[in-house]
This record gives sequence, C-alpha cells and structure tokens, in this order.
Amino acid sequence: MAEPHAHAAPHEEHGHKPHGWRRWVYATNHKDIGTMYLIFSCTMFFIGGGMAMLIRLELFKPGLQFFDPQFFNSLTTLHALIMIFGAIMPAWVGLANWMIPMQVGAPDMALPRLNNFSFWILPFAFTLLLSSLFVPGGAPAGGWTMYPPLVLQTGASFPMLIFSIHLMGASSILGAINVIVTIMNMRAPALTLLRLPLFVWTWLITAYLLIAVMPVLAGAVTMLLTDHFFGTTFFTAAGGGDPVMFQHIFWFFGHPEVYILILPAFGIISEVVPTFSRKPLFGYEAMVYAVASIAFLSFIVWAHHMFTVGMPLAAQLFFMLSTMLIAVPTGVKVFNWTATMWKGSLTFEPPMLFALAFLFLFTIGGFSGLMLAIVPADYQYQDTYFVVAHFHYVLVPGSIFGIMAGVYYWLPKWTGRMYDLKLATWHFWLSAIFVNVLFFPQHFLGLAGMPRRIPDYAVQFTDWNMVSSIGAFGFGLAQLLFPYVILKCVRSGARIGNKAWEGAHGLEWELPSPPPYHSWTTPPSDAVIARGAAH
Amino acid sequence: MQPHTVTAHAAPPDEARRRRRVRRSALLFALIAVAFYFGFILMTLVRGWK
Repeated sequence: MAEPHAHAAPHEEHGHKPHGWRRWVYATNHKDIGTMYLIFSCTMFFIGGGMAMLIRLELFKPGLQFFDPQFFNSLTTLHALIMIFGAIMPAWVGLANWMIPMQVGAPDMALPRLNNFSFWILPFAFTLLLSSLFVPGGAPAGGWTMYPPLVLQTGASFPMLIFSIHLMGASSILGAINVIVTIMNMRAPALTLLRLPLFVWTWLITAYLLIAVMPVLAGAVTMLLTDHFFGTTFFTAAGGGDPVMFQHIFWFFGHPEVYILILPAFGIISEVVPTFSRKPLFGYEAMVYAVASIAFLSFIVWAHHMFTVGMPLAAQLFFMLSTMLIAVPTGVKVFNWTATMWKGSLTFEPPMLFALAFLFLFTIGGFSGLMLAIVPADYQYQDTYFVVAHFHYVLVPGSIFGIMAGVYYWLPKWTGRMYDLKLATWHFWLSAIFVNVLFFPQHFLGLAGMPRRIPDYAVQFTDWNMVSSIGAFGFGLAQLLFPYVILKCVRSGARIGNKAWEGAHGLEWELPSPPPYHSWTTPPSDAVIARGAAH
Repeated sequence: MQPHTVTAHAAPPDEARRRRRVRRSALLFALIAVAFYFGFILMTLVRGWK
C-alpha cells in the first residue's frame, strides 16, 4: 500500500488546487467535476421526484383533484425528461468522473477542460427546460417521446424544449468522448482491456452507445424544429412527411438510451457483489461479452416500442425475436452475479442490500419486458400502466438502486469517512418496501386496462391507485435520508483507511481515502494492478 | 491537468504521442457523432423525396 501514497502525497500538497468558487466554476479535476455532477443529479432527482409526487397525488383518487389535464401532461413530460437526462445520466457521468481515473490508474480524465464544459452545459439546459413552466401555453406536455404531430402543437415552450434537448445531448456526447479517450489512452500500461474493472467496461460500452445515439435524437428534434418554424414537413403528413418515421428515429435512439441508463448499474453490481461475497466475480469475460452483446442488440430492437403503429409481419417477428434475444446475455449476467454469491462469505452492508434488491427487482422488470416483447400481448399492454410498471421496475430498482449501491460503496473512499450504516440500512429497507408498494400494483392496473398519461381514471382502478400513491409518498420521503446520510458522513463520519470494505479489490482501494487531488500521478505498478485486479 | 510523470517500473509512454492520440481519437469520435446527426437528417430527407 505504501507505493501509491509515496507518489500521491507530494502532489496533494502542490499549489495548483484552486479555491473558493473558482474551484467549481473553472474545475478541471475529475473529482470536483464528479462531485458537481452528483450534486446536480441529486437535485434533479428531487425535482423530478417532486413532480412524481404531484402526479401520484392527482391519481390518488379518480376525478380531477388538483391540476388541469394540460398541466398534468406537462408534469409527466418533465418528470421523464428530468429523471432520464437530469438525474440518472448525470449520476452515471458523476460516478464515471470519480471512479474511472482511479480505476484505470490515471491522474485525471484525458480532456479536463472538455469535462468542465460538458458539466456546465447541464444547469443551463435544465434551467431552460424548467423555466418553460412559466411561459404562455405552459411547459411541453406531449410526453418525453415528443411524437409529432402532438408535440408540434406545443406553445412558446417548444423551442425551449428542443434547445434544452440539444444541450443535454451535447453534454452527453462530450462526456462520452472523454470517457472513451480516457480509458483507451490514459490507463496504466499494464492494465490490459480484459483486466479492467467491470464498471469501467460497462461505461466504455455505454459511451460508445451515447456517441451513436445522442446525435440521432439531436437530428430528430432538429427536424421537429424545422417542421415547426421553417415550413419543412419531415414529419407532417399534410406535406408528404411521415410522423411514423419520427417514431422509428426516436426509438433508434430511445432503446439504446435504456441501456445507457442501466449498463453502468451492471458494472456497479459487478463490483459490489464480489466485494460483499468475498469471492472473485464469476465469469468476468462472460460478463464483458454479455454487456457488449446487450449493447449490440439494443440497436436492432427499437420497433418493439411501436408494434401498434402497424408494420409488416416479418418486421414484427424480427423485432419480437431480437428483443427476446436480449434475455440471453442478461440471463448470463444474473446467473453470474448469483454464482458469485454461491458459497461466498456474504455480509449485508447497504451497498450489498441495494445490489441484491437490484438483482431481484430488475429481473422482474426484465420479465415484464419479455411479456411486452410478445407482439399479440403487446397489443393489449400498449399504453397501459403495465408499461409504466415495467419501465419503472427497470429504472428505479434498476438504475436508481444501482446508483445508490455505487454511492454507498464508494462514499467512504471519496470522503475518507464511513457513513452511518444503520441509517443507510433504514434508507434501503424503506426504499425497497415502498418501491414495490408504488410500482407493483401498476402491473394490475395495466392488465385491467388503465391507460397511462391520464389525470383521471375509471372508478374500478381506485384501490390500486391509492396503494400506488401511498407507496410513492413513502418512497419519496425515504429518499430524504439519502442526502442526510451523505452530509452526516462528510461532517462527522468515522475516519477509515484505504479500504472501506474487507473484500474490496480494485485500484481505487490502493489509493488513500480520501484520494489525492490528482489520483495516480504515476501509473500503478504491475504488482499493484495485480493486487487490485483480482476479479 | 499537470503533465504525467512516470515511474521506472512502467514503460514510459511518449507524452507527446499520447497527447496526439488523445486529440485524434477525440476528434474522430466527434466526427462520428456529427456524421450520425447529419446522416439521419439526410436519410429522412432522401426518404421524403422518393
């Protein structure tokens, strides 16, 4: 352990570390930028979550309670955009910023100024999007999918929506370029690709996905913009355009986007499960190939989101079968995580609890996805609460629990202090119980025929909606524990050594806690890498 | 970012070469992103003209 300290210590003392507001505004340090991403993501999580609470408040009882339908639709639209682009994606970029240089033996990201730029785009993008609530005609209400011709009826907030999407996309692309370039060019010479930690691998593949699909979304919304303001008819049937074409282009972006939101969680679970099982990850290479296969398949399944628009039988069969094929590499991953735990010396600290909940609940989301992949069944489920239940099972106990597992896993490394394990365990149990109370009944509602994106519903759906809303309020309140645990840790957590967890392996645990300002000013030696890379 | 120093036990990579590689690969990926952006707009245009 002495070796990294010897190189790191003198650099921590050097005088290049900026202070005050300049440290954050001009930040080029990967940890500072990572911290800003995580704080931004947490803020957006509570704003988007607040909107979810309002949605569930309105749906607590049938009939219009608090909001007019237009505003309700704005809430669902903004909730989705904020949670996807403002909460989950920045959280992953924040974790990537913090962890990738430490895990690959680099001092920082390869392009630190670009890193600063990609972060600082985001506050402007979301200020623009949120300020659309105050313009005439209200915020965008056409859904996050922005299908024409409905979205073209948006009022003054339309250009704000389009510009904010462009900004979010630009930020993601720049961040992705930085991640790829860092992993490919900055990793320690002895750290070959098949020795990289799974979190780095999943992020590398995620970054390729981002570069491929975010420009596609940008192109689609640019065409919406020109249709709205410059008289083009890309998606306007009256002028010879094709609204369904938009759906194809959107979902060519949208489906890989789902994997962008979940793949880094796979990486985190692959770090956490071995640590708390005190065993190496079962089938490391199979995990890498499974992630790559999932990423490849994500490009050829997009039309399963739009079976009901009508398409040739051969296309329906192709998209149904290719979608089902994703279950194979996903099954490999779930099997390998389970096999890692098999006969392991398991302990159940908060990161492991979140990882286990991920394993069970993400699998439920995966199974309902398989049901939705079946064309004739999809005709029944389309646009019902079953779909809402499905993707929330993937994104909340999937992505969000993955983020929480990651934060609880690495927080002691970042701060040099251990957090209140009891409080974090409370956070876990409240989250795990209420997330099921919130989303499981939505399966029943959907199967009974309750449509999504409506502020009012038929009275027979009342009971399960009430249960779902109670779950939402419980889940929302439980999340307040999360920032509290973090703040308490930063202020008064007990000091820890290099390794926060007995079974942890990886280069990040070879650095002191908290790590030096520039992580690895000298690449780690083969011996250090061999010690850290015990998969 | 500070220049990276290297230790004796790791083969010292040529810093200038690495910087060039970083710049080139960043530009390459930016170009790919731009190509996807205009490519999809172009594809929709071509499809509309048929």
